[in-house]
Amino acid sequence: MNLKNALSSCPAGLTRVGTSGYSYPEWSDAGFYPPGTPAREMLAIYARRFPITELNYTWYHMPKAAAMERMLPLLPPGFSVAAKLTRTMTHEIDPHAWRGQAAQYREGIAPLIQAQRLVALLVQLPPAFERSDSNRRYLALLLDELTGLPLAVEFRHRSWAVDRVFAELERRLITLVTVDVPDLPYLFPSLEVVTNPDLFYVRFHGRNARGWRSGNMQKQFDYLYSAAELHQWSQVFIPKLTTQAHSGIMIFNNHVRAQAPRNAQMLSSLMR
Amino acid sequence: MDRHIIHINVADFAVAVERRLDHRLHNRPVVIAPEGAARATVYDMSEEAYQAGIRKGMALRGAMRLCRDLAILPPQPARYEQAMHALLHQALPYSPLIEPGEQDGHLFVDVTGTSRLFGPPVDVAWRLRRQARKELALDPIWALAANKLVAKVASRLVKPQGEYIVAAGDEKDFLAPLPVELIPGIEAPDLARLRELNLNRVHQVTTLDTAHLAVVFNNRATFIQKVLRGQDNAPVCPIGQQPPRVVLDHTFGTDTHSPDAMTAIIYALVEKAGHSLRSQGRVTRRISITADYSDGRRSIRQIGIEPPTANDWVLFPLARRVLNLAVTRRTRVRHLRLICDRLVFPPAQLPLFEAERKTFFHQQALVAAVDGIRERFGWQAVGTCAR
Repeated sequence: MNLKNALSSCPAGLTRVGTSGYSYPEWSDAGFYPPGTPAREMLAIYARRFPITELNYTWYHMPKAAAMERMLPLLPPGFSVAAKLTRTMTHEIDPHAWRGQAAQYREGIAPLIQAQRLVALLVQLPPAFERSDSNRRYLALLLDELTGLPLAVEFRHRSWAVDRVFAELERRLITLVTVDVPDLPYLFPSLEVVTNPDLFYVRFHGRNARGWRSGNMQKQFDYLYSAAELHQWSQVFIPKLTTQAHSGIMIFNNHVRAQAPRNAQMLSSLMR
Repeated sequence: MDRHIIHINVADFAVAVERRLDHRLHNRPVVIAPEGAARATVYDMSEEAYQAGIRKGMALRGAMRLCRDLAILPPQPARYEQAMHALLHQALPYSPLIEPGEQDGHLFVDVTGTSRLFGPPVDVAWRLRRQARKELALDPIWALAANKLVAKVASRLVKPQGEYIVAAGDEKDFLAPLPVELIPGIEAPDLARLRELNLNRVHQVTTLDTAHLAVVFNNRATFIQKVLRGQDNAPVCPIGQQPPRVVLDHTFGTDTHSPDAMTAIIYALVEKAGHSLRSQGRVTRRISITADYSDGRRSIRQIGIEPPTANDWVLFPLARRVLNLAVTRRTRVRHLRLICDRLVFPPAQLPLFEAERKTFFHQQALVAAVDGIRERFGWQAVGTCAR
């Protein structure tokens, strides 16, 4: 199947709000899932409340086509997914193996593309990935290798916040991920730049500056957005993004104590 | 509640430990074997040596013929133990339920219910691997699954490098296309029978019902169906707490191949094991014997015991059977180990038939009398002839 056609026929929906991952045992303790919900039933419950999720585990290990195929029947009609690129191509790059891994990754997510469920492939780069010559070269090669997939790039280091980078992403029709992060000097800033007219992509990481530096995930993403903060997004930033792209996805990554689904529901209500 | 079990596995552990100390060993075939020993065999080998056709237990001479530029290093058990301890130490902050293997680079960590403290289980697994790389210069495989069996299979699939996550509830589908020999618990005789029936993949066996399998496998059919479906309730034991078992060793002063000498030793070990079990108020459901040959090769055999027992008179014929299974080579034996495990409380059910019941009571009375004499006058006060 022609990939572009497959992707353009993805359920459009102007904007979709969801969370980064859905299978967190602690979300049962926090009341998002009924107590004792087994992991295999979480996706069905999640999909009743949100139209999209970001597959987190594909960052930890290479997706397997067979497992993806088994997941498909669990997705209700109209439900979409974004998938993270595996860490061996972003955080732990093996200069000799990454090309082979890119090919493996394509194979692994093929069922999602064929079923027209994949709206974005997130290339999340680590804070240490500065805009150096070698990193620029690597990123260009990686994006070439993944051509044809609905790519979205998230920078963490602020050195990438330059017009030449945005222009290149625009030329390649690749989405620049808009981030909401703590106000720390080295982090990529929150910008309203849209580089792909088909899709904008916002990731909410929380604004816990102290936790961000702790090196502990449970502290880094421990943050609950207030209604006022989300109101500003829904009334000011998101309208600006929607004027520049046909569709958009907003993903909450502040998963600790089920704050992500809580904020996602708040934002969805504010945008209605 | 779903369990979250991480399996950490440093492939070719002994070689990986040696490579930390000597960088010249990287990217070349390495074998661990007692080089000076007569008819030495391969204890462990690197991936490069494996690719050259070398296997564990192979005669060292044969291995050297297969691979000319082989680096041969003597086994250093203390070194492996130290590395194993360091690996365990890294996992300690994440869970009290950690089950290490015996100097083999394997570690099961049960992180069920810890996500509020440490984040998602998958992240803990990834951090364990990252720490091992950074601090110990070891690069383990990791797998995450809902039980030990599936986690172990998953890490076997990605060997020598990588990671695998099996979603809870996906166990049966995950195992279905795999070859049956990859599943722990399926032993050589099972494999031979399955092959005779042309059953090579897991799904080919799981589609059969237990009654059909029982025609070939008798009592083992239920167990085989269970493991092939990825069902495993075995807990990850708390650190330092091995499953209760009785272990007894004997090292021969002079290596022997005399069946009589070995039988006599096994009888003495059975007597001690039986006494230990009775003093704990337990009975055993499995007996196993490890025989270490003088050329470094090891053979381990075991059999299940039904009904479970702690009676020397019942245990001894079983132990002798296991000894015959374990010692099959003409090479001399240096060391024997007897293990009684799967301990349970004695069953309340008595033998159904009068004759069996009579023998049972006689044996119980005899053992109780011998125990009584030994407690009063010492272990040597009364002895039993092996014949």
